[in-house]
Amino acid sequence: MRGALTIYRRELVGMFFGPLAWSLLCVALGLSGWLFMAVVKQSGGDVTASLRYTLGASTALLFVPPLLTMRMISEEDRSGMLEFLLTAPVSDASVVCGKFLAALSFMTLFWSSKLVYAVVIASLGVAPDWAPLLGGFLGAVFVSALFCALGLVASAAFSTPMLAAFMAFVANVVVLFLPVLAGLSESERLAELVGFLSVSAHFELFLRGVVDTSAIVFFVAWTAVALFVAVRLVEARRWR
Amino acid sequence: MIQVRHLTRRFARLVALDDVSFEIGRGEVTGFLGPNGAGKTTTLRILAGYLPASSGFASVAGYDVLRQSMEVRRRIGYLPEAVPLYGEHRVAEMLDFQGRLHGMARGERRRRVGEVLDLVGLADRARQLVGTLSRGLRQRVGLGVALLPDPEVLILDEPTSGLDPLQRIEVREIVRRLAERHTVLLSSHILPEVEAVCPRVLIIHRGRIAADGTPERLLTDLGGDAHVRFEARLEEDPAEPLRLLRALPGVREVCDRGMGGDHRRFDVSADEDLREEIGALAARHGWPLRELSWHRPTLEEVFARIALDLEHEGPEPS
Repeated sequence: MRGALTIYRRELVGMFFGPLAWSLLCVALGLSGWLFMAVVKQSGGDVTASLRYTLGASTALLFVPPLLTMRMISEEDRSGMLEFLLTAPVSDASVVCGKFLAALSFMTLFWSSKLVYAVVIASLGVAPDWAPLLGGFLGAVFVSALFCALGLVASAAFSTPMLAAFMAFVANVVVLFLPVLAGLSESERLAELVGFLSVSAHFELFLRGVVDTSAIVFFVAWTAVALFVAVRLVEARRWR
Repeated sequence: MIQVRHLTRRFARLVALDDVSFEIGRGEVTGFLGPNGAGKTTTLRILAGYLPASSGFASVAGYDVLRQSMEVRRRIGYLPEAVPLYGEHRVAEMLDFQGRLHGMARGERRRRVGEVLDLVGLADRARQLVGTLSRGLRQRVGLGVALLPDPEVLILDEPTSGLDPLQRIEVREIVRRLAERHTVLLSSHILPEVEAVCPRVLIIHRGRIAADGTPERLLTDLGGDAHVRFEARLEEDPAEPLRLLRALPGVREVCDRGMGGDHRRFDVSADEDLREEIGALAARHGWPLRELSWHRPTLEEVFARIALDLEHEGPEPS
């Protein structure tokens, strides 16, 4: 745990020392602000619907976690930093978890900006419906956690950051649009299975303001599985 | 302090280490010598707990590097060849990060960072960004990071690789100072460096230990004879000078190296330096001298001989 916190702290500091985190925040916040304004206009001033829409917009979910995590293992392996970390008295799991927590903290910061919109709008006298907003925020954080973990799997599996980012992006698309892909098949059993495994269906619950334990367990379990795979892939690098 | 028994490491079909065994005692400073690709880095990575061995056993400070890896990692300071540093951190922050990884308390970290900065001569660079340092200074930061937890064993992989001669001397001086308090295993392919710093040398070639001992012992056992190189202008038939040289007390063998222009060259092998006797002989017979020098084989020659012998012995293990 101590090792994971040490690595988490360094990753977070390192992230904001470099230009990537600032650039991502700048672009993502700019786009989501523009999207928010556009939806407010289109919906005739429905603030809650607009905020929900920006929380549920999948573009940031698909792009930002792969870009954040792509360098975390593959680049560190190339630069020799991974050798340094894996010969320090910390476990491989601590290394992966520290990096995961740093990426997740960044995503939490990013999503919390939507709550800032809501607070500002509330202070202007238009009270938004807080339940779907807070639920949507929580859901976005859970989906981001899963996608950050998938990004780490890709970063541990591939030797170049760009390839890792691309593969993580593909994985995110597949995971998020699984129901659409399953819809192409006519099998009912497949549709049932996909419904059970659907990220978007579980996320939708949060966006409606329903904090369902099964949805939390769903995200926590799949994130844990992805992190476990990432740890195993880091271990496997020693055998190459 | 370090025990290696029958260590073998394969990468697919390539055998990087082939049944390597050696022991290093507490406080010993050992040079691990070999050409590029000989298996030095693989051995050091196994000892540091980064790579698992395919077979065999290795322990550091009494702990098995595979099964008790964490205990080993707490007791070693490892400096890989590509010095791993975060360029965006300041020098003191990089050292502090290493202290945190080793679970050191804040006060202890602050004390050790100060001590280590002094030891590696970077006290005035503590606030400088690592990314802005020269290669030599980065190497010193790397040494500082390895030293921070005050490890029992220091494993340094090519610590002077890529440095200019002055920087090499600086790093060599630091390593010499470290040798007073730590067990050091240092790899290099630069022979004079190992000769200058390490009282003991392990020569590895093609994944096998080819020689082990002090540089002096290796020179005596494997280097061949020392000899006096004698070169003079000789008008007469070389048979007479050869006879006279062989007649000198202590001479084992005289080798006629032939003519070089007007001069003839001999290598006179003896148990001791016979330059004075040979000089007197030349003066008595009026041979104008061109060269009279004492040649001892260097570690480089010993190493080349071992490497060539092994190559003639058989193909690369696979």
